[in-house]
Amino acid sequence: MAGIDLMVPAGSFAGLVGPNGAGKTTSLSMITGLLRPDGGHAEIDGFNVWRDPVQVKARIGVLPEGLRLFERLSGRELLVYNGRLRNIPKAEVEQRAGELLRVMDLTDAADKLVVDYSTGMRKKIALAAALLHNPSVLFLDEPFEGVDPVSANTLTEVLRRFTESGSTVIFSSHVMDLVERLCDWVSVMNAGHIVAQGPLENVREGRSLNQAFLELVGGPREGGGDSGLSWLGRERQ
Amino acid sequence: MTTVTLFAQLKLRLMAGNLRGDLQRKLGFAFTLVMGVIIAVVGFLLMGLLRLAPPDTAAAVVILVYTFMLIGWMIVPLMAFGLDDTLDPARLSLFPLTTRTMAIGMFTASATGIWPLVTLVVAAGALAGLASSAGGVVLGIVAVFLQFALCLTLSRLITTALSGALRTRRGRDVLAVAAIFVVLLAQLPNLLLNSSFGEPGAMLHQAADLLRWTPSGMAAHAIADGGLIGLGELVVVALAVVLAAWLWIKALNRALVTPDFSTQAASVRKESGLVDRFLPDGPLAAVVVKELKYIRREPRLRVGWFSSLLVAVVLGFTATRSGGAGVWLPILLSAAAGLMISLQAANAFGIDGRSLWMNAVVIDSERGLAVDLAGRHLASALVATPLLIVISVSAGLFAGHPEGIAPAVLAGLGALGIGYGVGSVTSVVIPYTMPERMNAFSGAAPGQGGQAFASAMGAMLGITALALPFVIPLLFGLLWVSILAPFYGLLAEILGRKLGAKIGFNRLPDLLAAISKPT
Repeated sequence: MAGIDLMVPAGSFAGLVGPNGAGKTTSLSMITGLLRPDGGHAEIDGFNVWRDPVQVKARIGVLPEGLRLFERLSGRELLVYNGRLRNIPKAEVEQRAGELLRVMDLTDAADKLVVDYSTGMRKKIALAAALLHNPSVLFLDEPFEGVDPVSANTLTEVLRRFTESGSTVIFSSHVMDLVERLCDWVSVMNAGHIVAQGPLENVREGRSLNQAFLELVGGPREGGGDSGLSWLGRERQ
Repeated sequence: MTTVTLFAQLKLRLMAGNLRGDLQRKLGFAFTLVMGVIIAVVGFLLMGLLRLAPPDTAAAVVILVYTFMLIGWMIVPLMAFGLDDTLDPARLSLFPLTTRTMAIGMFTASATGIWPLVTLVVAAGALAGLASSAGGVVLGIVAVFLQFALCLTLSRLITTALSGALRTRRGRDVLAVAAIFVVLLAQLPNLLLNSSFGEPGAMLHQAADLLRWTPSGMAAHAIADGGLIGLGELVVVALAVVLAAWLWIKALNRALVTPDFSTQAASVRKESGLVDRFLPDGPLAAVVVKELKYIRREPRLRVGWFSSLLVAVVLGFTATRSGGAGVWLPILLSAAAGLMISLQAANAFGIDGRSLWMNAVVIDSERGLAVDLAGRHLASALVATPLLIVISVSAGLFAGHPEGIAPAVLAGLGALGIGYGVGSVTSVVIPYTMPERMNAFSGAAPGQGGQAFASAMGAMLGITALALPFVIPLLFGLLWVSILAPFYGLLAEILGRKLGAKIGFNRLPDLLAAISKPT
């Protein structure tokens, strides 16, 4: 990837969209300090990510792709571990963890090992871990992938409340409907570049976001019906 | 017949596909092939040579060999579960196959391969070694095939019956640790023969007299007998094969429709809070608590700890048998155990793998990384210290030199500290990914074998070199030096940890990448 110029205003609910392999995950990893870029710089709340890690790491919450968690801890233990790593007193962490588990509807599974969680439960516990220290910016990589509608609803509720309080959420996704429904700011990525960004209405320009996206990244042309597969759906002998 | 060819071809394709484009696997296969041919040829010849031994001894040896063959077939496929696609019936459950087709197919698949062929050849060696009459040859041919069929069906029965359990997380956890005990078990005959429990010839006959009544023993005995008794025995063996096959088909039917219960796991115990009583609230306590849980719950760590202790025990046995037991014995054993335990810290972040991002997004300074390392060392030392005391006390009493106990504990702690110090540096300089599944041949992700070797060798040499200043005087009887060992170890730990944190903090993204390789 070369030359991405991603900008997200504070307090917005921002969506980062792009086809597979556009560089969404790589960009988010670089911004959160998990992957070292060859050049350029990233600022969060005015602090440089690579020069001022103390300020930046205290301000961000991250839900990375792939979602590897400490699998041999229970959900509750994972949250408590996370909070105490960040120097929050144990009693305070335990209280916050309890509330987050309740909101995420994970109370029943709180004392089971994360290795036995389903994908949706993992996303929820990882989001809880990312929120635990009350960050001002939240980076979420594909937070809704593989999540059932009920859990997805819980996740969006929590995120809405979070941005209404003036905090920022940046999430990557390729589900356009979701981005359209949730976000007020959209950045479109393709092949390692930002091809469009701005308030949702400006990027959409009256079209549906899906339509705008396909035109921006150059999707397949209409009427590709005669590319074979003529046997598919025919009457079976 | 078509089923047989189809599944035989499927198995051969899978074996060929497994090899494509991967040099390491190709080498592994070539190694297996060479080993298989050698074992088959040597096994057949040795069995044939039994003709030179007295007939009753020859029969006893074959009975023993057949029994071990059967036990091997029952255990080994369990350890290698997941390596062979045709083993897991769940993969075939979506195809429209009857149970009969499926049973024939899976039997064919398991009969196709290097090791089944080796088994057949070695089993046939008994014909050359034992059969003494025409009846013996005829019965022998049947007996060899029955023994072969018994090995395969029993092995199938066990993997199928357990396949549900093996596909759950808990089942695989148990198995990973059980593998260690199998290694131990394999040493048992060796230890028994070398010990002075009895004369080997008499032991052989005693064992054979007992094992002769097992199905595989009967098959072996039938070849030697060659008469009516042999025929009767073969009927019993055949019945055993049919019974195993019938049970296997039942198990197969059940395995295909039984749901996976792996997500309905039990809850974890509530933590005791003992660590929090002694440590100030904060990141250090968090890491210690988490690491202690991991030592208890992560199968790879459990295996690591077991093997460390095993090496110390084996070393002790070898030392006592090769020479007398002096005051140096407990000291050497405890220091060796300290070395082995702390070697696990040579790639401290490897077990965390990709989950380390959770620490990486929090660690904001060299100090942060140093605290993380300190927590890991403290947790490891909390488990290691009692173990070192037990080793020192038992070795001291066993050697008849109780005055060596205290120096041994102190020397062990010294070695432990040095190990943590050296490990802090190797963990950040030569980090590598540890595979999710335990594997006997490789402790690292593909392509990182060199790093794993460099890390282990570097740590081992570093620890040994740093430990020499106090270990050598101790071995020469200057026991008072041991008082300095723990302080020396602590100094090494602190300096190593500081250095590791300094190097590691700047390399955090690279460290994360090195331990997150796909395996």
